Amino acid sequence: MTATLKNILTGKNSRQGLWILPLIIVVIGFVSLSVSTEDFATSQNLSNLLKQAMPLIIVAIGQMIVILLGGMDLSVGSMISLTTALLAIDAPAVVTIPLVVVAAVMVGFINGFSVVRLNVHPIIATLSMQFIVLGVAKLIRPVAGGSVPEFLVQWVNGTIFGVSTVFLWTPIVILIGWKLIHGSRYGLHLFAIGGGAAEGQEDAAHNFGISDRRNIIVAYICSALFAALAGAFLAGRIASGDPNVGTIFALDSVTAVAIGGTQLSGGIGGLHGTLIGALLMALLSNGMNLANLSAFLQGSIKGGILLLVVALQSRKKMGL
Amino acid sequence: MKLTLNPMFSSLLRVPPAYFVFAALFVTLWVTKPQLMNVNVMGVFVRQVAPLGILVLGQLLVMRVRSIDLSGAGVLLIVNYMMSSGIMGDIHVLFYIPLALLLGLIVGLVNGYLIGRRRVSAVIATLAVTTILAGIVQFFASGKPPGAMPDFYNDIYNTKIWIFPSPVAFWIVLTVLMSVFLSRFVFGRYVASIGENPTAAHFSGVPVERTVIIAHVMASVIASIAALVQSSSIAVGSIRVGLEMPIDAVAATILGGVVFGRGEGGVWGPFFGVLCFALLFVVMTSFGVPEPGKLIARGLIILLAAILYGMRAAKS
Amino acid sequence: MNSLIKLTNISKSFGNNQAVDDVTLELNSGSVHALMGENGAGKSTLMKILAGVHQPDVGSISRAGEVVSLTSPKLALDFGISTVFQELSLLPNLTIAENMFLGREPKRSFGMIDTKLMESQTKAALAELGLTLNPSTLVSELTIAERQFVEIAHGIKADVNIFILDEPTAALNAADVGMLNKHIRRMKDEGKAIVYISHRMDEIFDICDTVTVMKDGQHVATKSLSDMTPDSLIAMMVGRELEDLFPERSDAQGACLLEVKHFKLTSVSQPLSLKVHKGEIVALAGLEGQGQREIVRSLIGQHIPFGGTVRVKDHEISLPVAANNGIRQMSALGLGFVPEDRKDEGLFLNLPIADNITIGLHSTEGGLAPARKYREVIADTIKSMAIKTSSANASVASLSGGNQQKVLLGRYFASDVDLLVIEEPTRGVDIGAKAEIYKLLRQFTENGGGVLVLSRETIELIGLCDRILVIHDQTIVSEMVAADATEHNILDAALSSGSDATGSV
Repeated sequence: MTATLKNILTGKNSRQGLWILPLIIVVIGFVSLSVSTEDFATSQNLSNLLKQAMPLIIVAIGQMIVILLGGMDLSVGSMISLTTALLAIDAPAVVTIPLVVVAAVMVGFINGFSVVRLNVHPIIATLSMQFIVLGVAKLIRPVAGGSVPEFLVQWVNGTIFGVSTVFLWTPIVILIGWKLIHGSRYGLHLFAIGGGAAEGQEDAAHNFGISDRRNIIVAYICSALFAALAGAFLAGRIASGDPNVGTIFALDSVTAVAIGGTQLSGGIGGLHGTLIGALLMALLSNGMNLANLSAFLQGSIKGGILLLVVALQSRKKMGL
Repeated sequence: MKLTLNPMFSSLLRVPPAYFVFAALFVTLWVTKPQLMNVNVMGVFVRQVAPLGILVLGQLLVMRVRSIDLSGAGVLLIVNYMMSSGIMGDIHVLFYIPLALLLGLIVGLVNGYLIGRRRVSAVIATLAVTTILAGIVQFFASGKPPGAMPDFYNDIYNTKIWIFPSPVAFWIVLTVLMSVFLSRFVFGRYVASIGENPTAAHFSGVPVERTVIIAHVMASVIASIAALVQSSSIAVGSIRVGLEMPIDAVAATILGGVVFGRGEGGVWGPFFGVLCFALLFVVMTSFGVPEPGKLIARGLIILLAAILYGMRAAKS
Repeated sequence: MNSLIKLTNISKSFGNNQAVDDVTLELNSGSVHALMGENGAGKSTLMKILAGVHQPDVGSISRAGEVVSLTSPKLALDFGISTVFQELSLLPNLTIAENMFLGREPKRSFGMIDTKLMESQTKAALAELGLTLNPSTLVSELTIAERQFVEIAHGIKADVNIFILDEPTAALNAADVGMLNKHIRRMKDEGKAIVYISHRMDEIFDICDTVTVMKDGQHVATKSLSDMTPDSLIAMMVGRELEDLFPERSDAQGACLLEVKHFKLTSVSQPLSLKVHKGEIVALAGLEGQGQREIVRSLIGQHIPFGGTVRVKDHEISLPVAANNGIRQMSALGLGFVPEDRKDEGLFLNLPIADNITIGLHSTEGGLAPARKYREVIADTIKSMAIKTSSANASVASLSGGNQQKVLLGRYFASDVDLLVIEEPTRGVDIGAKAEIYKLLRQFTENGGGVLVLSRETIELIGLCDRILVIHDQTIVSEMVAADATEHNILDAALSSGSDATGSV
C-alpha cells in the first residue's frame, strides 16, 4: 500500500501522472483566497468562478484526448471562435447548431486525416488549421457582435431551482469526459496508442490489433467537438459572436492539461488532473484579478507557467 | 507490387515548390497587372518582405535541425517597442542595434535551453516565449501605441544601392553569408546530420544539444536583426501582437524546400519562398482579398507544403 | 499430420534490402517447427508476414488450398495466428491485464471495461506459467524476464491454432525455459502448430521436430530434426566451412587499451572489471537483458551506472560519463562506439556515403572549422573496405545491408580510433560481407587496435574473438578463451551461476 501512496505522491509508476501537487496548490489557493478575500467564498463568486473555468475545462478535456495519443491540437482556439461566429449569424438555432457540429467534425477530420494518412506532424497540421479556421471565423464575423440564440444565454447564465445552471453542466461534461477517457475501450486504446508513441514505437498498439488510425481521427474530431461545446458555452456567456475570443485557449488548454500531470509525449495522464489544471488556471486568473494585476501581465505569467510545467516534463524526442 | 515513381516525376518533387509558385505568381501578375512589372514597383514590393526574408534565414536554420521558432513575433514586438517608445531614454540611435542583438541573444538562449536541453516541444516553448514578451510589452505600453521611430533608421531604409533598395541588398548579403556558413563550415555538416537523424548524429560524436542551442540562439539574433529592419520600415511603433511574421517565415521556408530535417532547398529555396510572399501580397491586395483570406492562404500554404513532404517521406 | 497453413513463394524487401526471397513454408498440426538462421536471415520478417504485420511483395498464404489475406495483425489473430515477438512489444503504461486483453477487452454494462474479469483471467493465465504477478501492475515496473513471460502468456490463447514464438527464451533462465517447454508440448498434443525461433541448439533439439533453415532471406532446407545433428545444422545455417568464415587469430597481445575497474551497474550488482589489450578482440556474451548492453553503453554515457572507473590508455575517467558529451569525450581518446541499430542509431540513410564517413572526422573538429572534403580518405576507405558502390555520393540507403555496415565501420576506421566498442558487428549482414567484416576487424587489431564486441551469435563469439566474458545478473561470471569455448559451456555459464531466485534446476 505504501508503494501505491508513494506512486501517487511522486507521479512515478502511475498512469495518472503527477496530479497531487497541483491539487494541493488548488486547495491552498482556495483556502487562502477564502480567508483573505471576504467575497471569495460566496456562492455568487463560486458560480462565477466555475463559469469562468467552464470553457477551459471543456476544451482541455478535448485537448487531453489528443495529447494522450501523443498528439496536440492547436486549432481548438480558432474552433471556439468559429463556433461563436457561427452561432451569431442571422439564422435560427436549428440551422446554426447543426452547422457548428458539421464544422467541428470537418475540422477534426482534416486534422486527424492529415496526421495519420498524410503523415503531417500533428503540431504543424493543427497550427495551419488554426489559421485557416480563424480566417473562416473572421470572414463570417469580422468584429465582435451579433446575437446568439436566447436559450443558449439562459442555459449558461440562468438558474434552475434557484441554483446556477453551471452547477448542472459541470458534472454532465465531466461525466462525458470520464466515460470517453477512463470508462471505455476507446479510452484504454488512447492510452495504448500514446504509450507506444512515447516509447517511439508508433505501431505497438496497431500490432495488438487496435485500429489506431481510426482512433486517432476520432480523437481529433472529439477535440474539435469539445472546442465547439466550449465555444457554445462562451457564446452564451458573452451573448454574441467574437472571432478573437478563442485565441488564448490554444495554449491555455495545453497548459491546463500539462499542469494536471498529463505527459505531452503521450500515454500518461488522468481526467482529474486536467480538471485540477483547469481549475488552477481559473483560480489564478481570479486571484490575479482580485489582486488588480494588469491583464497584460497575466498573459505573461500564464506563459511562464506553461514553460515551467513543460520544462519539468521529461521527453525523449527533441524538436517540434 | 513495388511502388516506383516515374523518375522524372520524383525528381520534379525534389525541386522546392517555391520555384513553381514563384513562376505561377509572376505570370499571373504579368498577364493581369502588366503596369506593375517594372524595377521600381517591384523594388518596393520586395523591400516590404526584406524583414521576412531575414527572419527566414533563422527559421530555416532551426527547421533544419527539426525544430521551429515562433518567438520571432515576440522579438519583433519588443525591439519595435524599445525603439519607438523612448523607454531607453536619451541614448544614441546606434545604441539600439547592440541592444536589439542582446535581446535576441537572451531570447535565443532561453529557447535553446528549453528545446535543446529540456527537450520541450519547440512550438509550445517559442509560443509561450512570445506570449510572455507580448504581455510585458503591452504592460509597459499600457495597451497604447508607442511613439515615432527614430528618423535615422527610416532614412537608411529608404536609400538604394544600385537598383536594390538597401534592405533588400542587406537581405541578399545575409543570405549569401548564411549559405556560405552552412556549406563551407563543419557547423553545416552538424546541422545536416542532425536533420537527417539526431540519434545517429549523437552516436557519431556530433554535439547535438549544443548545435540545436546555437541554431536557436542564431535564429533569435537573426530575428532581432529582422526586427531592426522591420522597425526601420515604419514611421510609428506598434504593439499589435501578430504571429503573421513567424508563420509566414515557416510557410516560406517550407515552400522553399526546407522542412523539418530535410534541407534540399538550401538557403536559396526559402529565399524564393519569401519572394513568393512578396508577389502573393501584391496579388492578394490587387485582387482585393480581405485580411481573413490572407490568414486562410497562410494556413493552406503550410498545410499543403507539409502534406507534400509528409507524403514524400512516407514513400521513401 | 494435416497442414494448417502454407506460405508459398513469399518475397519481401525493404528498400534495397531483400529480407525474404521466394520462401515456401508449410506448418502442420501437432508439430513444433524450428525456424533457424543467423540474425538477419529473414526469419523475423517471414513471421511478421504470417502475423499480418508486414505484407509480402510477392507470394501467397493459403489454408487447405484457399488463399487467405492477412492484411493486419487483427485479421491474423482472428484467423487463429498468435505471435510472441522477439522485440518486447508490450505497452509500458498499461497494466499486465490491460496488455493481455488489449484490443479484445471484455465489456460490462454501459460499455465499461470489465476490469475484474480481465484481472482474474490474467491471474489464471499467469498462474499456469507459474507466475504470481499482480495483474494490475504496470508493465513498466516488470523485469525483462517477467515482461517476456507476460508476452508469452498473451500469445497463448485457447482459440488459436498457430503459435509463433520468436526467441521467447532469450531472457529466460533454465527453470523458466522448462516451464515454457511444458506448455509447448501441451499445445503440440492439442494439435496446434508452433513455430519456434531460437538460437539455442539444446532447446531446438529438445522440443522441435522439424527444422527450416534460412540464409540471406532464402530458404535453404526443411528437414526432420531426427536426421540432424547440431553440427550439421550449424553448417547448414552458415553455408560454408567455419574456418573459411573467420580469419586466423593472432597471439600478439600488447599494452592495455581499455580497463574497466570497480564497475557496478546498480547499487546491488556485483562489481566487475575487464581489460582489452592491443591486438585482441574481447566479447561480452550472455542471455538477453543481463546487463551487457548497459555495461558497454555506460562507457559512452548512454546509460548511468552506479559507479566505477574507466581507463582508456593513460586517461582515467570515473563513471558516469556525461550523457550529452560522453561519445565525444571517448572519441577524443581514440575510442569509437559502433551502435547495434545501424538504421536508427548509426547511419544517415539519405545522406551520401561520403558524408557518412566524414562525419566522424568532422565531429572531432569545431563547428567553426572549415568543412574539409577529405576526398582521399573517402576513396581510400571505400577501396580498402571493398564497399560496393558506383559513387561516394550515392546515398547509403541504396546499399545492401553488408555494405551499409562497412560504411558504418569505415567511419571509425577513417578517423583516428584504436579502440572499438561494437554492438552486434554483423547483424543483418549476408555471409560474404560477414567474412569480410571479420577480416577487417582482425586487420584492425593486427595494426594495434583493440575491440570489445557484444554479440548474440555464439558462432561469432567463438570464431571471431580471443576472449569471451560471460555476463549474468549484471556482472562477469565466467571468462573463457574463445578457442576452447563451445556453445554449450557459454550457455552453461550464462545460465547456471546458481544464484537465481526462481532457479529450481
